[in-house]
Amino acid sequence: MGINITDEYKQIVDALEKNGYDASKYFDKRVASIIISGNRVIGLNNVPGVKLTPTQIENGVRVDMEIEEGVALPIPIHVCTGYVEKRGLQNVIFNIRIRKNAKVKFTAHCVFPQVEEFTHNAISNVIVEDGAVMEYADEHFHSDLGTINLRTITNAKVEKGGIYKNSFTLTKTRIGKLYVEMNLDLGESAIGELTSKVKGTKNDEIEIKETLNLNGERSRGIAKSTVVALDETKANIVNIAYGNAPYSYGHVECNEITKGNKVDVKTEPILKVVNDLSELTHEASIGRVNRRQLETLMAKGLTEEEATELIIKGILQ
Amino acid sequence: MLKLENISFKADNKLILKEVSMEFEEGKKYAILGVNGAGKSTLGYIIMGLEDYKPTTGRILLDNEDITNLSIYERAKRGITLVFQEPPRFEGISVGAYLTLGGKIKIDRNELEQVLETVGLNPKLYIARKVNGSLSGGERKRVELASILVLKPRYAILDEPDSGIDIMSLEMVNNVLNYIASYGGTPIIITHREEMATNVDFAYHICNGIVLNKGDAISVIEEYKKECGICNHPNAPKQNEKSKEEVRKWV
Repeated sequence: MGINITDEYKQIVDALEKNGYDASKYFDKRVASIIISGNRVIGLNNVPGVKLTPTQIENGVRVDMEIEEGVALPIPIHVCTGYVEKRGLQNVIFNIRIRKNAKVKFTAHCVFPQVEEFTHNAISNVIVEDGAVMEYADEHFHSDLGTINLRTITNAKVEKGGIYKNSFTLTKTRIGKLYVEMNLDLGESAIGELTSKVKGTKNDEIEIKETLNLNGERSRGIAKSTVVALDETKANIVNIAYGNAPYSYGHVECNEITKGNKVDVKTEPILKVVNDLSELTHEASIGRVNRRQLETLMAKGLTEEEATELIIKGILQ
Repeated sequence: MLKLENISFKADNKLILKEVSMEFEEGKKYAILGVNGAGKSTLGYIIMGLEDYKPTTGRILLDNEDITNLSIYERAKRGITLVFQEPPRFEGISVGAYLTLGGKIKIDRNELEQVLETVGLNPKLYIARKVNGSLSGGERKRVELASILVLKPRYAILDEPDSGIDIMSLEMVNNVLNYIASYGGTPIIITHREEMATNVDFAYHICNGIVLNKGDAISVIEEYKKECGICNHPNAPKQNEKSKEEVRKWV
């Protein structure tokens, strides 16, 4: 192995900063944080009201995260998962429970700067209790080889009046082979939002499946995917909503922007009304960058390439 | 000098423009006046060189260079730009980033604020707003007008700049025209509202794809009010028999 913890820490920080982040703010003592490298925890900081408890498992780490009842954290919890070797397997399990009326945000970074043959499996089990609010923003940075195999599955349950927002972003580096699954169960008057934004290049493969289960009366949920597929990218996006309770409302949306003759993309919205007082809607689009948008920018002196780049950059913001 | 020589244009086998000739001298303000469906926007698209808007016959000259077959980008590089009647929205791009084309245009903060004020937008409230569906049609239009003021084009084609904008629009449009004129640029306003053309040096009235009249703004507006104000068929003015006959020949 030959790499010590300080080196690993530095490599992860460097990779974050290379992607435009001021890493120092995440490693402040006032910020609850956990830094995982490979199958070890190399940094851990708990703050009042937050309990992060890691356990080493085979090829990875499990972390039980609990936010105490009524706690409102002013600064997001930082969860950083890194892998600095070139080959290997990493399993990560996060069990997250947000107690009643607590409010918390997570900023998560997954940093795999130089992997060649690597598999990352992540499972998140989330419970947002009554009246609690949780936001989880997960951003990935991979190596440019496109040889990573990433599977991330989130199962979230939001209880009465709770709010849950989850975003997955992978737009700044190659993807490799990606499978994202988000399953969201919404209780009475609960609100949920699932968002994924990814940009595929070369021969990246993308599979995203987002499911809203509107189980509680007056629950509301949105599942939205935005995919930019360039070159020979393959993408298959499925957004599902089940209207199981009266006066629940769900919306699923998928927008795929394509560029390149060899892209292979598909989107499938699935709506199932089980309770006839539920309302479900969907929007889906696949296509090249909007012609009028291109012409508007080209009329200001941008080339077609420059205009496309600006439009895509905006879409992925 | 920007010149259109005998521009005709057909779409789906229907003649939209017939032998339109116009001249736009640098540093003057122009209006292309006409009712809905007269071919005004089509003419703007042809000057800008949009896809599917290549003239069937005729040519466009800029400083004696034939630019008829140049791309939008190449025309923009030569100083021509166009504000669409309904500019598109852009997800995720802030007004500030849009005006500078993602940082490509270097402009100081004061000037950026000045162009926003010229189109009636408070810079503090708008510079960080996104150019997406959160802006109303009128706000979006104002942002688009501000974006061309940043560019300082030689020729700015403004397609119905007041559409979707409130009653203060005339003053705002005049501010825009004056701003363009202040650095020696040439605004070309496309409009069906004669009051929008009152501040220009020269106007063209087009109807059914032909130039019916041209001259100083006051005389063209007078004729436009007389002919089109009472016209039952918006594309065939009844008062001008000669022009009507001419129109009949190819309708």
